[in-house]
Amino acid sequence: MKLRIMGPTLIGCREAWHLLAAFCCAALLSTLPSIAWPQHDHPTRQSAAPVVGSLAVPFDLNSLDGKSVGLAKYRGKPLVVNFFASWCDPCREEMPLINELASEGAKEGYSVLGIAVEDSRAAITEYAREFKLVFPIALDLNSTVKRSYRIFGPPATFFIDGQGIVRDVVLGPITPERAREAMKKIGIAR
Amino acid sequence: MTFGPEIGIGKIEANPSTPFLRYAPDGRLFAVWTEDHDAPWPEGKQSAEHQHSRGDRAPSPMRNAFLAWSNDGKTWSARKRVNSDVEAVQGKENGPKVAFDTNNRAYVVWSIPGGKGDKTRANIRFAREDGKDSFTLARTLNEVKDAGRFPIIEATLEGNFLVAWIDRRIDNPRPRQLYLMKIGADGKALTKNYQAGEGLCECCKLGFAFADAGKTVYLVDREVDSNKIRNHVLRKSTDGAASFGAPVEISNDGWQVPSCPHSGPSIGRDSRGWLHVVWFTLGRSEKEAGTYYSVSKDNGKSFAPRQLVHANTVPEILYANLAVGNDDTVYLAWSNLDNRSRAQIFMRTIASDGQTWSSIQQISNARANAGRPVLALKNNQLHVAWTETDGEDSRVILRSAATRR
Repeated sequence: MKLRIMGPTLIGCREAWHLLAAFCCAALLSTLPSIAWPQHDHPTRQSAAPVVGSLAVPFDLNSLDGKSVGLAKYRGKPLVVNFFASWCDPCREEMPLINELASEGAKEGYSVLGIAVEDSRAAITEYAREFKLVFPIALDLNSTVKRSYRIFGPPATFFIDGQGIVRDVVLGPITPERAREAMKKIGIAR
Repeated sequence: MTFGPEIGIGKIEANPSTPFLRYAPDGRLFAVWTEDHDAPWPEGKQSAEHQHSRGDRAPSPMRNAFLAWSNDGKTWSARKRVNSDVEAVQGKENGPKVAFDTNNRAYVVWSIPGGKGDKTRANIRFAREDGKDSFTLARTLNEVKDAGRFPIIEATLEGNFLVAWIDRRIDNPRPRQLYLMKIGADGKALTKNYQAGEGLCECCKLGFAFADAGKTVYLVDREVDSNKIRNHVLRKSTDGAASFGAPVEISNDGWQVPSCPHSGPSIGRDSRGWLHVVWFTLGRSEKEAGTYYSVSKDNGKSFAPRQLVHANTVPEILYANLAVGNDDTVYLAWSNLDNRSRAQIFMRTIASDGQTWSSIQQISNARANAGRPVLALKNNQLHVAWTETDGEDSRVILRSAATRR
């Protein structure tokens, strides 16, 4: 068996960008990084939250097939962002509906993007195959986007209009009725 | 507490994750965890469009469970694979668990996804050391296929084992049921699967504590009611888990959540019989969110008002665990975000008076995130292990400390 004694390591470039984005966009915590391992008492609680009517927090992640996926790419047309995980029971409940939304997106002029949280590429690959998912999936492997969107647990679905403004948020599994209502808010009548 | 250096457990190239720690009766510290299976993508499943981003191999869901032991937490034995066949041993939501018989033989439970790869309709697997430096063929414990999840195992002083899990063989009405079965030292089933409760959160781990040589069994879980309010309860059995009394609410947190909390409670019992429980809740508003602790001083009839261990810094599910020392000090470990928005492992203790808290101590320094801490404590040696993840990589870290100077 290999034994390793591991010390602190430098933050990678991509991770640093993610951290920076999270800091800037969601006003996360203090701006004074501490290199030492601090003795913590209760840290400052984050107060900012992406709310309906505010600009969606930008992000840049890798997709399941290794390509870059960012919010900016979708600017100009409505977007449904679904946070999910392969281990999540209610995510499975709603996934056929999310997939149905996605399959109608091209002709209706909107997009659906899945963001997998707290999961692995292998598990999500299996999941996408099982559900025959037709929409792109971004991997939020370090939870930076999940945190900036203030999601306690999947599923959660954000409805973003063509100007990048969040028009509705559904926490928990979405129903067809609720989806219809939310889609209307981003200009899509179903 | 002063912790020693970080020790990596497992084969780092295989992304070790989700450790569980337990002492065997002979005083050795054991760890069980999961790793990627090194073989290529299973035949017939290779998918050109889903190659691993680094190009070294296709992403395979196959993972193995491994077991190793140490006398001091620093130097570890060679690891032994637990699962006889390669399978997708689940780690993320609930890794393998181990318990020991009086001959220090390991009995391990884990779960694998159901027939269609569904992690929410999984199967409970079991194997034990065969006395020949290997493990018996793994077998499935749930009698109804694709129904179990989140198994835990505990040894009784009679030499038997109790296994519990969250079960969905009865899919309506939801939510889930609590199922148990007993296994003898020879690995054979002593009972069929039996239901011991219902109304469980579908995705929150369970916790066991035993008393009276296993005659009294305490089991904690997160319940979910028809309004999706998810509080924690204690279930108590005084007949060796044959039957359980009505659930006792540990705290009326009032967290109403339709999504996956994904974090269950942990319980420990001290020498006085006090029951200590730690858990995560958001409560009735985000202002309440955090890790909480409570104690029962009347054998589980009631619980003291909850005490906040550590408030959440951002919306994030926190994972908490505890261990109880011989002097009745309670050691709590959990994840929370540091001031650079990285999940780290934190610790604090509550003294035997049930009132005196230590300050909060950060014990990890993960580059990206650390989570799901587990503890083991014996003879004033405390060990805490957790998983660190960074992108697609993971590793298991262990740190040790003397609990008394």
